[in-house]
Parts: sequence; C-alpha cells; structure tokens
Amino acid sequence: MATSTRLARTLTRSSLRSLSKPPTTRRYHAADSPPPPPFSPAESAILSAALAHVPANGFTSTSLRLGARDAGYLDASTNLFPRGAFDLVNYYLVTQRLALKDSVQFPAESAGGGARIGVGKKVRTLALARLRANAEVGVVGRWGEALALMAQPTLLPASLAELARLADEMWFLAGDTAVDASWYTKRASLATIYSATEVFMTQDQSTGFKDTERFLDARLEDGMRVGGFLGGVGEWVGYTGHSLVNVLRSKGVRI
Amino acid sequence: MSLALLPSKAIRRSPRPQSLPVLDFLAPNWTSWRPVTQKARIATSAPNTSTNPPSKPLTKSQKEYLDSALRVNQAGELAAVLIYTAQTPPLTRAHPHLRPLMTHMYEQEAGHFAVFNTLLAKHRIRPTAMYPVWSVAATALGWGTALMGREAAMACTEAVETEIGGHYNEQVRVLLEWADERRKEGHTLGAELEELLGTLRRIRDEELEHLDIAVENDAKEARPYELLTDVIKGGCRAAIWVTERV
Repeated sequence: MATSTRLARTLTRSSLRSLSKPPTTRRYHAADSPPPPPFSPAESAILSAALAHVPANGFTSTSLRLGARDAGYLDASTNLFPRGAFDLVNYYLVTQRLALKDSVQFPAESAGGGARIGVGKKVRTLALARLRANAEVGVVGRWGEALALMAQPTLLPASLAELARLADEMWFLAGDTAVDASWYTKRASLATIYSATEVFMTQDQSTGFKDTERFLDARLEDGMRVGGFLGGVGEWVGYTGHSLVNVLRSKGVRI
Repeated sequence: MSLALLPSKAIRRSPRPQSLPVLDFLAPNWTSWRPVTQKARIATSAPNTSTNPPSKPLTKSQKEYLDSALRVNQAGELAAVLIYTAQTPPLTRAHPHLRPLMTHMYEQEAGHFAVFNTLLAKHRIRPTAMYPVWSVAATALGWGTALMGREAAMACTEAVETEIGGHYNEQVRVLLEWADERRKEGHTLGAELEELLGTLRRIRDEELEHLDIAVENDAKEARPYELLTDVIKGGCRAAIWVTERV
C-alpha cells in the first residue's frame, strides 16, 4: 500500500507539472533539439491502456479507470487527470497527430522522374490518413462523445489549439513552405474542412467510409475553387491598377 | 539635357517589378493552394550535423527568443523590399542616376527576404499576423517619401536601416552570449546557430552599407530631417514591438 501511495504521489507531481503547462505554444523547431515528449511515461501507460477500452466504454471516466487498472495503478490515480475524459481525448489527438509523420510517407522529390505529388494532393492524403486512424483505432463510433467533450466552453480553447496544431502539421508534412499571410488562411481553411469531415464521419454508414472520402474531396475542391476565384479577382485588380498608374505616369503625373 | 546623355545601361536595368506594388495588398494571394517556392542562397541542411552533434539542446526561452527574432527579421525584410519597390519608380524618374543604386539595394533586400522565408519555413515559425498591414504601411512609406523627393527618400532609408542595423546587432550579441555560455560549459553553439550567426552578421553589414549609401546621398539634407527620421524610427520600433508578439 505504501508503495502505491508513493507511486501515486510521484505520479501526481509529474502529471500536474505537465498538465499545468500543456505543450500549446509552437516554437522554433531545431533539427538537433526535438521537443520533449508530450506525456510522461506514467501518463502514457494509463492513457494508452484506457484507449483500448474506448470502443466498449466510450470517452468516459470508466475507460480511464479501467485503463489505470490495466496499467497497474490504483483506481484513484485517475484523479491525476483533472480534465477527466477530455485528457483521454487530448491524448488520442496528440498521439495521432505525432504519428502522422510516420504513417504517411511521400516519395522523395528528387528521386527519379516520377510525377511530383502536388501539395494539395499531399494534404488530402494526410487528412484522409488522419481520419482513417479514427476508424482503425476503433474510436469512430464513440467520436461523437469526444466531439461533445471538445465543444464544452471550458475545453474549447484547448481543442481549437490542438486542431490548429494538426492543420499546421499537415501543411508542414505536405511540404508547404509559404510564409506570408496565406500561412493563416491555409491553416484556417484546412482546419475547417477537417473538422467538418470529422463530424460527417461520425454519421457515415458506408463501407470503408467511401462517403467520408467523397465529402472530403468535395470540400477541398470547394476550397480550391474559392481560392482560384479570389486569385483571379486579385490578378484583375492588380493588372487594372498597374495599367492605370502607368497611364497617369505617361500623362506626366508625378506619381 | 537630352535623353542620349543618360546612361543607357542604367535604363535597361530598370528594377521596376512586373506587378504594381501599391495595389499588391488588394490582391494578396491568400486562398491560393498553389505552393510558393522560394529561392535562397543559404544552405538549408548543414552536412556536418551528424559528425558534430551540438551537445546541448536549446532551452525554452532560447527557442522563444529565436521564434520572435526570426519573425521580426522576416517582417523587416518584407518591409524593406516593399519600401525600395515603391520608392524606385518615382525616384528614378526624377533622378535617373540613382537607378543602379536602387537596384543594388533592392536586390540585396530581396536576398535577405528569401533567406528569412527559408528559415521560417525550416524552423516552422509562423509569419507575423500583421503581414498585410505591414505590406500596406511599407508601400505607403516608400511611395510617400519618394514623392517628397530624393533627400526624404534617403532619410527614410537612413532611419529604417539605423533601426534594423541596431536590431540585427542585438541579435548577434545575444547569439554570441549563448556561444560564450556554452563555451564555458565545454559545449559548442552547434552548426545551425553558427550558420545563423554568420547570416545575421552578413545581413547586418549589408544593411549598414545601405545606411552609408543613404547618408552619402544627402539624407541629412531632408527637410524636416529630425521630424521625418524620428517618426520613421518610432514607427519601426513600434512595428518591431508588435511583430515580436503577434
């Protein structure tokens, strides 16, 4: 019993430290100093064990308790997760986001004369891979519960921040290097499309989630069409303005 | 003075860009899904990272510093490129002999901008959220000072480059401090930061070269010199303060 108490105490300390300072801010990524792992070993042990109970028990404190028991901790150790079931959801989101870079591999750009995959195609592949993970882990049937948790007012900021990190990860893995104002619009539109598709997926009854794939393609195409239209309008305005100023300059106006 | 007397070489090398800079803010290719490719002269991967592993990872505050410093640098170079782009047409109309000079400064700034674009993408630093605002402000500043005349345009260059040069100097100083700290503990700065230090030094020297060019071209003759340079310097400092945060 004494060992368990001590274990629980160390667990409390390490968990509280990491939970009070969640890895929310994105910072300078250095190739030689990778960011620290987002969860402590004890947290990982409990939460990953709890995840196995989600298909049966959902994103609930029951799953957390069963997970703690499986990992060899006391039931009471679930008190270490002050946000309860949401911490389980958060663990799932973070680990799936970090797994994305290993689960999707694109052929190297320089390798041979093979057709280069466009950034748009890569983003589609990544979004689809991330959605498929929901089905593969088996949480898709329970994903409605997770979405409901994430939408709670107190938890919404954390959920949106994680969604933003996911969108950023996808654009990064797709090899997008634009660092202008489009950096924000790209991430915002991808986050919107991804979350809409995720909601759609919870209702999807088709085999192999064919309808979800179609839904995602349609949304991405909409995004591209709007982008192309705005780009065309911008080009026209730029051309017209350029001509106007040149005409004025040719008339001797000193501008 | 007949047109034949003007140096024809300078006329052919007009740095005027293909699209109108003043209206670019109306057409920000915001929602474009096409990849933007950037060319920069720096080597993005240091080949000797595996043979010379930096013995000490960056601390959180160091990462935060680099994050905001590089973001400010990119915004500053964006502004510099736009200022020179907007200044060039009115200025070279009135003073064609300035054309090679403006081309030279513009090309250097465009090079710096490409360097920081590459660094931001490599280290996954977000660009400033004020990007469209700074674009408009820089274009207006360049165009406005060029209309005020050669001296005002040069005073603008002088004020901006003074602030920017000081800013880069500060960053070089911080990096050297880190290097010192690490040397005391028996560590090195690491290939990545060494390269960054070299880049910052080179860019700082080039910015200060622009400052000298501006002073040589009668920047001090601008009227009202004090008011103009003080307002521009104050604006630069305010912009840096904001960009460090958003």
